[in-house]
Amino acid sequence: MNLMEVKVLFFGVLAEVTGTILKNYSEVKTVGDLKLRIYDDFPEVIHYNFRISLNNEIINNDPNLNNGDEIALMPPFAGG
Amino acid sequence: MKSGCLINGPITPDVITSLMEKISERTDTGGHSVFLGQVRADYENDKKVKAIDYSAYEGMVKVEAEKIKEIILAEFADVKSIEIIHSTGIVKAGEISLLVFVSAGHRHHATMACSKAVELIKEKLPVWKREIFDDDSHLWK
Repeated sequence: MNLMEVKVLFFGVLAEVTGTILKNYSEVKTVGDLKLRIYDDFPEVIHYNFRISLNNEIINNDPNLNNGDEIALMPPFAGG
Repeated sequence: MKSGCLINGPITPDVITSLMEKISERTDTGGHSVFLGQVRADYENDKKVKAIDYSAYEGMVKVEAEKIKEIILAEFADVKSIEIIHSTGIVKAGEISLLVFVSAGHRHHATMACSKAVELIKEKLPVWKREIFDDDSHLWK
């Protein structure tokens, strides 16, 4: 049986406070479930304002996750 | 090294020159508007910014830069091309970290489109910056 695994990327200040830029999570059903697992691993994240993207699209709901999905935790943008 | 619209380090004059050299390949353009974003030596609590360290979500920058170009081309019918280049990594105070180069048939759409593109970049491009001060401390913006 193939393991279901997703990739989580941390950007900006979140990469600094977690000390992590990439972490894989397996057997996680939805983005909401994933957030809980992330907060378990990195409790400090909950104090920061960020948006979530799923495969390069910002999401505002709680979609199901599929094997190979890429999720990014993105603080407010500051480019330009 | 340039990847998509991201370049590691500051945007140097040769980048701008190469875009200018491409201009003469088209003869349907009559006006070009260029925006250069520079790192400014701001002060934060008496500490002076000596550089900005930019980081970006590369895959999403590509997607969002294309969306920005589509928005501009849809809104300004006279625009023929738009180039967006943003730095990643360290850019020192005084150096350039953003280039927007818009070519249009006439100057009116070139200047308006360039201005709109800069606003969209600030709003939509997944780029982050960390100000680095003279004392080597830093602050995320």
